Amino acid sequence: MSVASTDNAISTGRITRAFIYLMLILFATFYLLPFGIMVLNSVKPLSEITGGNMMSLPQVFTLEPWFKAWNSAQIGVEPTGLKPYFWNSLKMVFPAVTISTVLGALNGYVLTKWRFKGDTILFGLMLFACFIPFQIVLIPMARVLGFLGIAGSTPGLVLVHVVYGLGFTTLYFRNYYQVFPTELIRAAQIDGAGFFRIFWRIMLPSSGPIIVVSVIWQFTNIWNDFLFGASFADLDSQPMTVALNNLVSSSTGVKEYNVHFAGAILAALPTLLVYIVAGRYFVRGLMAGSVKG
Amino acid sequence: MSFLKINNATKSYGSTKVLHNIDIDVQEGEFLVLVGPSGCGKSTLLNMIAGLEDITSGTIAIKGQTMNGVHPSKRNIAMVFQSYALYPNMTVGQNITFGLEMHGVAKPAREKAMSDVAEMLQIKPLLGRKPGQLSGGQRQRVAMGRALVRDPDVFLFDEPLSNLDAKLRVDMRTEIKKLHQKLGTTIVYVTHDQIEAMTLSTRIAVMNGGYVQQLGTPKEIYDNPANLFVASFMGSPSMNLVPAKVVANGDGIFAQLPTGLSDQVNLKFSNPTEALKGFDQKEIVLGIRPEAITDPEGADRKANHIEQITNRVIVTEPAGSDTYVMSSLGGKDCNARMRADAQVVAGQDVPFAINMDKAIPFDPSSEMRIA
Repeated sequence: MSVASTDNAISTGRITRAFIYLMLILFATFYLLPFGIMVLNSVKPLSEITGGNMMSLPQVFTLEPWFKAWNSAQIGVEPTGLKPYFWNSLKMVFPAVTISTVLGALNGYVLTKWRFKGDTILFGLMLFACFIPFQIVLIPMARVLGFLGIAGSTPGLVLVHVVYGLGFTTLYFRNYYQVFPTELIRAAQIDGAGFFRIFWRIMLPSSGPIIVVSVIWQFTNIWNDFLFGASFADLDSQPMTVALNNLVSSSTGVKEYNVHFAGAILAALPTLLVYIVAGRYFVRGLMAGSVKG
Repeated sequence: MSFLKINNATKSYGSTKVLHNIDIDVQEGEFLVLVGPSGCGKSTLLNMIAGLEDITSGTIAIKGQTMNGVHPSKRNIAMVFQSYALYPNMTVGQNITFGLEMHGVAKPAREKAMSDVAEMLQIKPLLGRKPGQLSGGQRQRVAMGRALVRDPDVFLFDEPLSNLDAKLRVDMRTEIKKLHQKLGTTIVYVTHDQIEAMTLSTRIAVMNGGYVQQLGTPKEIYDNPANLFVASFMGSPSMNLVPAKVVANGDGIFAQLPTGLSDQVNLKFSNPTEALKGFDQKEIVLGIRPEAITDPEGADRKANHIEQITNRVIVTEPAGSDTYVMSSLGGKDCNARMRADAQVVAGQDVPFAINMDKAIPFDPSSEMRIA
């Protein structure tokens, strides 16, 4: 795997090039500005912010707001900081992403390589899942969770996110496996590999790019989800997003903006990290299958 | 008893029948080639032997055991695919031993088998590489290695050479033939290339439209095609098929047809059959291979009867080893193969020698050979 090549880029003159870079820098700054302000204000004492110097560099540098947001800020009624909710989110995200990705891969595998009567209709129906707004599933989902006895728990949230994400992951893997040569499956069958053996030994090892796509997509969506977390979680299973809301919108006491900023960055950090680590595979994975290599 | 027995096998998709009552017996050590144009059902038949497609009716048996419904991995067959189908995530070595591993062969035995096969195919230096790093010819070898290592009863080849460039294809063709002679294995080989079929096979099944048109040795197929389809499909350049009228008189039986000079010629059949006599005064299609029409000096001296006619040359195509000369016979373009240094020029009237031993009459209505 190499870095994106410039071979097929359109060659341009110097003035055009300067113009392009100028625009790119301009837009990059525009998009980075809010994040910059968040970072700046998260390392200032509160007095500097309330004093009206929101846009200026900090006169006194302090990491105190970060520690406070993490350890001891008032979330709802308890002064726990965001820490326990961060773990809640992790405990929810990892199983949810793993299960939905594996199930999506299995679905894609079956829908392309073990075709059966009505498989296209089934796939079409699964595609609907991608277009259903969150709000519509709230009440049926509440019924289901209650019926299963996992309402207000992390496993309950995992189920919600797996079910909701399955449409997307199935779509990704199905399209990826669509162009995966069927002769490989036949060769493996003759070699004596069964359904799952073919999946683990042949399909999954060749699915790197699309796994990355699925993981990034699912991780971002599930980590950032607020509605399901707010609707289906109890105090001890609330994800980070809900806690952040409780931190920022609590109506008692002084509004500690620097702590809020630090908390917001903390909440966004994991998705940022995933993009930095796996982002370069993301576009490649989205493109894979669409263009014949 | 035959080694591989295809008995009255048919294949239908819904109400569409794609293979009609196929009967083929293959003896041990035979090299059977299924040849035909695309869509003739040859790959479907191969997949049915492999167990990748089920058999609608009839049976396929290997070594006397009926294989209907038996899983591909339990048939003791190995298959080489058109795209090679090498597992992209495994090294060459792992590709070759994957089947053995799946069949529970112990690691030392796998390693031994792998190194034997790698030795035979000269791919030892490649064992640690991934398929993506190999050239087309090397992939082809690895795919064959993967088949060989299993030591199967029957090898199945599905157009294995069609992805290679022309030169490599000829080399690999020879290599496959050598391998077959050395190992004496039973092979069923699918191709649409009639030259591959002729050169490799011990027997050929020519297929079209889901039927086996003719089953026989390459020589039988070439010299005595059963019908017009086989006659025109096998051979390159293809057989000249010209309309003619049968005329029988005291001197023998003749095919009467006009030349490009618009005079009628009577070509006397060397060995007319009884059936041909029944076609007196009727229209037939006369099949003559290009190499049976030559310049008089280049004619086959061992032929029983050679007819010499004069005809006008339309076009010449020097091919280096031979010169192909086009003329008009029976109102159709007729290709003749002359010696490379035969002196012929387009527009001239030159003598042609027709080897009537090789002329084959066909019934235009049934398209079958008159025999």
